Amino acid sequence: MLLSLVVFLPLLGALVAAFLPGSEPGQHRGWALFVSLLTFAISLALWAGFDAGAAAPEFQFETKLPWIASAGIGYHVGLDGVALLLVMLTTALTPIVILSAFTVGDRVKEFMIALLVLETAMIGTFAALDLVLFYVFWEGILIPMYLLIGVWGSQNRLYATVKFFIYTFAASVLMLVGIIYVFMHDGGSFDYLAARSALRVSSEAQGWLFLAFALAFAVKVPMFPLHTWLPDAHTEAPTAGSVILAGVLLKMGTFGFFRYAMPLFPDAALRFRPALAVLAVVGIVYGALMCLVQQDMKRLVAYSSVSHLGFVMLGLMAVTAEGLTGGVYQMLNHGVSTGALFLLVGMLYERRHTRLISEYGGIAKQVPWLATAFVVVTLSSIGLPGTNGFVGEFLILAGTWLGRMPRTQILAAVGATGVILGAVYMLWLVERVFFGTIRKEENRLLPDLSLRESLVLAPMVLAIVVMGLAPQPFLAPAKPAVDRLVVRMQEADRRLRARDPSRPPTVGTEVPALASGSQAPAGALAARPPAGGND
Amino acid sequence: MPTVPPADLLALAPVAILVLGGIALMLTEAFLTSGRRRYQAALTVVFAAAAGAAALLGPHPARIFGGQGTADAFSAFVTATVCLGLALAALVGAPWLEARDAERGEFYALALFGTSGMALLGMAADLLVAFISIEVMSLSTYALAAWMRRGRKPAEAAFKYFILGAFSSALFLYGTSLVYGASGSTLLSDIGKGGSTALLVAGLVLVAAGLAFKVAAVPFHVWTPDVYEGAPTPVTAFMAAGVKAAAFAVLARTALAAFSGAPATIGWLAGLLAILAVATMLVGNLLAVPQRSVKRMLAYSSIAHAGYLLLGVVVAADRGARQEALSGILFYLASYTVSAIGAFAVVGALERQGRTPADEPDDACDVDRLGGLAKRRPLLAFAMLVFMLSLAGVPPTAGFVAKLLIFKAAVGAAQYGLAIVGMLTSALGAYYYLRVVVFMYMRPAAEDEPAGVVSPVLSVALAAAVVAVVVLGVGPEPVAGLARSAAALLR
Repeated sequence: MLLSLVVFLPLLGALVAAFLPGSEPGQHRGWALFVSLLTFAISLALWAGFDAGAAAPEFQFETKLPWIASAGIGYHVGLDGVALLLVMLTTALTPIVILSAFTVGDRVKEFMIALLVLETAMIGTFAALDLVLFYVFWEGILIPMYLLIGVWGSQNRLYATVKFFIYTFAASVLMLVGIIYVFMHDGGSFDYLAARSALRVSSEAQGWLFLAFALAFAVKVPMFPLHTWLPDAHTEAPTAGSVILAGVLLKMGTFGFFRYAMPLFPDAALRFRPALAVLAVVGIVYGALMCLVQQDMKRLVAYSSVSHLGFVMLGLMAVTAEGLTGGVYQMLNHGVSTGALFLLVGMLYERRHTRLISEYGGIAKQVPWLATAFVVVTLSSIGLPGTNGFVGEFLILAGTWLGRMPRTQILAAVGATGVILGAVYMLWLVERVFFGTIRKEENRLLPDLSLRESLVLAPMVLAIVVMGLAPQPFLAPAKPAVDRLVVRMQEADRRLRARDPSRPPTVGTEVPALASGSQAPAGALAARPPAGGND
Repeated sequence: MPTVPPADLLALAPVAILVLGGIALMLTEAFLTSGRRRYQAALTVVFAAAAGAAALLGPHPARIFGGQGTADAFSAFVTATVCLGLALAALVGAPWLEARDAERGEFYALALFGTSGMALLGMAADLLVAFISIEVMSLSTYALAAWMRRGRKPAEAAFKYFILGAFSSALFLYGTSLVYGASGSTLLSDIGKGGSTALLVAGLVLVAAGLAFKVAAVPFHVWTPDVYEGAPTPVTAFMAAGVKAAAFAVLARTALAAFSGAPATIGWLAGLLAILAVATMLVGNLLAVPQRSVKRMLAYSSIAHAGYLLLGVVVAADRGARQEALSGILFYLASYTVSAIGAFAVVGALERQGRTPADEPDDACDVDRLGGLAKRRPLLAFAMLVFMLSLAGVPPTAGFVAKLLIFKAAVGAAQYGLAIVGMLTSALGAYYYLRVVVFMYMRPAAEDEPAGVVSPVLSVALAAAVVAVVVLGVGPEPVAGLARSAAALLR
């Protein structure tokens, strides 16, 4: 019940807020912050109570109740390590976002209600263990996000929000058909666990199912070439919306691959893996190149998300313990560092009311603290050793390099150029915005971080450093889930090879000894699969 | 002349209550009016509630009047749904009519008589009984559509509705005669006896065409936008919900009876209905996109929704998926009733009113009327948001569960193509429903935009509809379970 409490507490808070007077915005700000902090506090109990041992049950804090029993739909929630990490990311990010959104002055009541409803939907998406329940939360996100962008966004918001809604809604409806198809072929259950163990479909059907799910997830990630909604939505959304979009919503896509598309349809996943991996690499390079030509800071950060999420997808598609662990870790990193970047850009925007890079320049002297925070976040974003970004990117690239996917080393090598390009566009951005001489007179009077803004940024900067130096507490919960997925994919690989003896093994690492003995940070060692990939 | 057993008469209690209610309302108009007619809507609601309760709680004999009718749980569900629609429409109608100084007891009386026809239609197990019920229902709705008869648009709408309605009745009757010729009976249960002769197929096709007019399926839909737009808004709501529910009940029964016949007949009919369903989903959704008038958009969307319901009927041809499909249809009807009436109620509250009956602003129901509604009337805007999301099928609303149940049946019957077409068109639907939300929440109001009329009565209706949409979306089990057990009887 603890998990259900975490899921529904924000919604409850939103319901209470609906009855508070709308003419007193202060009440709403305080209430929303209180509710989100309380949710975070309770979610810490989940974190503390989670057993990451190999013998522990796969899903913990489970609750299973009938919901629409006549249609075989249940209320089933539970967390594995990856879902736990993403729930923690959500509950930690939401109060920060709410605090950062204290500057919103228009329709504060509705704004805070939308954020709280959004939080419930996000946590629910990660916690759901019933396919229909998952779909309900998955789609439920669209409504508050649609309103957040459309009501509180900037000039071009209507176009952006409709594009966002239609893109994601249209891509998801086929997943619903897929979910129903699964129901028909797993003995009549929408339960995720039942579906995973009892699904019996032909190889062709599995391919279609994988594509139906993958389409929904790939749009959300977003994978190249389905990313076009993202720059618009991120750019036009209010700061809070951008942070939530980048911080949590995009992870729903990668989480979907990790939790649903790959374990439910492992054979098909292996078949489509090369294509997805290539798209991931294209996304990495394309996103980075697009960043180089952006005039608008927010748009630049948005495209950097395409590039970073490409890394996550590459790690997932490598299907090595290192790659998967790195992918999961990079989901958290991206949530923290890109979330922080959007917050910082939002703070600059509030000072100058422009997002154009050319309007800034040389402001580091005026806003030293802001500049410092920006630089720290930038270093995390480009994966400097000592920050969280390094751990994730290293694991992903190492995992891909050592993997057995066809031409995996080429993919890893090309992907690695994304790291270099990332350093180029981010450092260039810092240079153009913060260093050099002040060219615009308005920039001479910029105030530095206020106390509230410092409180917003402090936890983010702290997280960047802690997650960079001591990744173990964050990697440990993910390990059992990653190992299980690797084993599952290995079984699928064996099945495929039994059918086609000429097929080389494609899952796990080429040289197990090298993988475990490499100079990986602590996390890579911890995440070594039980089988060592030697099948 | 065989005697009628009392139990058969008891099974007709809901219909009797509705007819009595109609008579009572007529009498109140003659004897109990002193200018204030507020109580008439309330009285209508009472009769509707009584009829709905009688249908749900009363006895459920499977055969009444020698098999010409049935009072099974399926018909009870349909009766309860149309009574719910009647009650909501009456509450929506009262303030709308009062604002136009057109509230009369006859309005409610006609609605009650019409609903009695709908309830009878849900019980019909014989093509002739169905025909008579259709006429009872239609005559009332023709008159209701002409309620604001002094205006040009309502008059045109009513006339169009009458002419095309009569045409569809003729088709239905002609089809009935052919079926009788083939099978020697008008009982639905005897359709199977007709074998698979061309005569029977032709008759069934004509019957289906007649009903397709009533449910506004493509290509028999052309009257819908004009009639829905021209008719008084509460009447449109009543027609969209009630007529559709009743017509689908009899369409489902007829199709099921035909599906139990020879395989050749089944193939013909199911194929034809599948084509109708696809065309209806596509055309309804595509034509709804460019509409500026919200009322007209809702008219096209009602065509689209008929497509999803038709999909359910097609799927019912598959014996394994029959119960799923029928319970899906029933749930969909209940969900559409509350969502659509709610949406029409909001449109009616904001409709721009001419100064005289002859003065009909062309932009009376334009989407501009909703501009900035979230600032002017936040609760009204929120209600409309809920209805739009439900019509679009976004969770967690009634519309989502309804679509889920229908598509679940479709996938269960291995109708993947139909399910995918349905899903993709419903994604298209999201576009035009969302445009309403865009106007309400994200655009400013026009300078001189009046705040709209929201009386306490309308607030009650809207609150009830919102609660129903959310409850059916979050906790659908009671109603879904009821629909499922109702559908079990028709296997």
